Amino acid sequence: MSEQVADAPQDSPRPDDHEAGAGRDPLSMLFQPGAWRLERRLHTRPVYELYATLIALAITAVIIGLLVIIVGVSPLDAFASLYEGAFGNRESALETLVQATPLILTGLCAAIAFRAGVWNIGGQGQFIAGAIGTWWVYDTMPGLPAPVLFVAMFAGAAVFGAVWATVASVLLVRYGTNEILTTVMLNFVIDSGLSWLLSGPWQANDTPYSQTERMVESTFLPRFFDDSRLHLGFALALVMVAVVHFLVRRTTLGFELRAIGVNKQAASYKGVSVGAAIIAVMAISGALAGLAGAGELLGLHHRINFEFGGQAVGFTGIIVALVARLHPAGVIVVAVAFAGLINGATQMQVGTGIPAALVDVIEGVALVLVLLAAVACRYRLRKIAHHHG
Amino acid sequence: MADTDQSGAAAPGENILVAEEVTKVFPGVVANDSVNVAIRRAEIHCLLGENGAGKTTLADILYGVYQPDEGRVLLEGEPLELNSPRDAIEAGIGMVHQHFELVPPMSVIENVVIGTQAKQWLDLTEARRRLEEFFADYDVEIDPDAEVGRLSVGEQQWVEIFKTLYFGVEILILDEPTAVLTPQGIDELFRILRRMRDEGLTIILITHKLKEVMDLSDRVTVLRRGKVVGTVDTADVDQRDLARMMVGREVLMQADKAASNVGEPVLEVEEIHLESDTGRGSLDGLSITVGSGEIVGVAGVSGNGQNALFDAVVGVRHPETGSIRITGQDTTESAPHRIATLGVASVPADRIAQGLMMDFSVKENLVLGNQRERQFSRAGILNRGQIDAFAAESIDTYEIKTPSASQITRTLSGGNLQKIIMARELSGQPQLIVAHQPTRGLDIAATEYVRRRLIQERDRGAGVLLMSEDLDEIFQLSDRIAVIYDGRIVAVTEPDATTLEQIGMHMAGASDTDRGSQ
Repeated sequence: MSEQVADAPQDSPRPDDHEAGAGRDPLSMLFQPGAWRLERRLHTRPVYELYATLIALAITAVIIGLLVIIVGVSPLDAFASLYEGAFGNRESALETLVQATPLILTGLCAAIAFRAGVWNIGGQGQFIAGAIGTWWVYDTMPGLPAPVLFVAMFAGAAVFGAVWATVASVLLVRYGTNEILTTVMLNFVIDSGLSWLLSGPWQANDTPYSQTERMVESTFLPRFFDDSRLHLGFALALVMVAVVHFLVRRTTLGFELRAIGVNKQAASYKGVSVGAAIIAVMAISGALAGLAGAGELLGLHHRINFEFGGQAVGFTGIIVALVARLHPAGVIVVAVAFAGLINGATQMQVGTGIPAALVDVIEGVALVLVLLAAVACRYRLRKIAHHHG
Repeated sequence: MADTDQSGAAAPGENILVAEEVTKVFPGVVANDSVNVAIRRAEIHCLLGENGAGKTTLADILYGVYQPDEGRVLLEGEPLELNSPRDAIEAGIGMVHQHFELVPPMSVIENVVIGTQAKQWLDLTEARRRLEEFFADYDVEIDPDAEVGRLSVGEQQWVEIFKTLYFGVEILILDEPTAVLTPQGIDELFRILRRMRDEGLTIILITHKLKEVMDLSDRVTVLRRGKVVGTVDTADVDQRDLARMMVGREVLMQADKAASNVGEPVLEVEEIHLESDTGRGSLDGLSITVGSGEIVGVAGVSGNGQNALFDAVVGVRHPETGSIRITGQDTTESAPHRIATLGVASVPADRIAQGLMMDFSVKENLVLGNQRERQFSRAGILNRGQIDAFAAESIDTYEIKTPSASQITRTLSGGNLQKIIMARELSGQPQLIVAHQPTRGLDIAATEYVRRRLIQERDRGAGVLLMSEDLDEIFQLSDRIAVIYDGRIVAVTEPDATTLEQIGMHMAGASDTDRGSQ
């Protein structure tokens, strides 16, 4: 037996149809069929997208706050300690920029490929390929003078990253193989390849560990300050943001890769070689991730061991790019914010006992909500007028 | 109308369906502005207007797809609230849209009963009986068990119409039903529609073709820019009156053009075969030649190889056998960008899918395809000054209505989209112009403009390959007419040496009267 709610609105007689809905609660109005309708907007203004993104981030904060309450901690304490660890003082702020450095580059890697409608999920593998390329140059060209060696190592990283991405793009262009699958699988392949290198040809002689020798100090990237690990790689990342922005907006290649991202069919009718553009953008994308690998190796770790790449910056870069809505400058902002989260989470764990893994939840929730916001601003909610009698 | 008989068996001639002060606003567009239309029982009532005049929006309101922002719909004098097409069908109003809503892999009979079966199991005997009766009654030869995807578009339209009638509707709305038909198919449709009207069905027909209004309708309501210009008895007006009402001024019914001055061939297509691997049709030994300074019109029902011919000439697809020469050079295997450098301009049928980047700015679309030209870039870097200058000049010359050159293309109207394409394609003084359906969906002013420009290009010495399903356009513009059927050119003639009926015959693939029915 179903129990009737005493004053269910639909049961009440409608004394005056002209005033229908006036006395009812807004929620039942909202869900009344035909009362409200989602309509597609003809076009969105960029400012809507900015607002929508900010609202999405605010909702993210609320959701995370609720999670923190469930754990039994005051959200204010949690956020305060998160902020403290991320940007609270000079030391932590600079360390946040250290963490942001590879994310900016892997974020660019994803952003430029996604702009062209090519779903490169292989930033992680290309990042490792970059580190391998750096080491290979270091290992095989010991006689090079320092400045040349730096250039050669970065070039090696870019080329290795590009080649690894090109494996997927050639399969895509030649055989139509889905690039999402191939790039994901190539991540595993290069992981195994790296393990083999570290336990075989490149294993350091004096240790039982799977790792390379430590690089000589002359190959360390210079640091900006004595009291911070912030290295030249950060500046390089910022330069690459400018380069990518210029490439996308101001060059024929950028024009064409945006074109294939928007409408492949029209691009091919207008003479753009879609295959060539895909090969080019994937190579650039892979090279950017490769540079991230070089920066981490030469700026921070100075040797490759099995933990190299354990931070999964290649995958986080995908989230960075999407939350930044594929804008190169936005990538800087989001990469620094995410790096702050990663950095602050450690402090938060120590200070409040909240697991640092909460950062993964924050990233995930933010991504989903920002993507939803992007879809939402293509629509508007409209009330449908009703006419009776 | 307030004293309509309760039984509903009112006499013909009374108002059955009335739109009263209906206003519907879409973002930036007033699609219907205080529209008043009264449809009488058992009449054929045309809604006539240019594209964007608001006829389809009005019909969609009568069919419950949209709800009016203001005003109301009355059925037999009673206000009618339609929140969905389902409500409309229950009220006895059915509609056949321009784009069919059929399930191609299912049979005719299965398509007809979709949405009508209340039971858990499928009982087709009753449906089959009514379907066979209907087809026999109206002389339509369609096998109820045929797979709908294998039927011709004309036959599919019959399935749509019967599907709607099967719901038991009293009012049938048809949105541009003749767009997919040959002249003979149109005659057949009209013959049956007249008979249905005589049997008591009320028919609302949306069209922008004056001839159809004159041939078929009892009364016509003309819409312009969302407003009703007037409702008239068809017998009291002629085509010129209707055209004037539609456009709001006098219209040239005939494009003026001088005699052609044909020179060297600019396009020579010989015996090309193209497999249908992309869903864009196939060619089966097609040959055609276009000389400089002439317009060759290709007439045909859509789906007979027009897309494939377009693709082959611009180089998006390459024929398996046969050859294509453009200005004397073999381009059979050439890539689109190389063909473009030979002075080939292309105006694709689907300007949104194949001609434009809707998310690009207007100026970017104006240089699309030419971005590597020396005018617009050096060493791979775009020359923004030159692009801006070219865009400003094109917007001016072609009267493209846009707030600025940086405006996102998506926000422009269809006519302006086509002007962007024309401006881009004609900028390099092309030797060959391949235009497929260049005026489809455009209003009369934009249509006139596009046609005039094509004639100007011809007079300048360009060869024009014009593919169109609009036979009036073919006859007006062409110096020679070729008919395409089933991937081949089946007839080549001159406009003065033939008639609409003869071309229609060839379009249907018949050398004489037999039109595919066994």
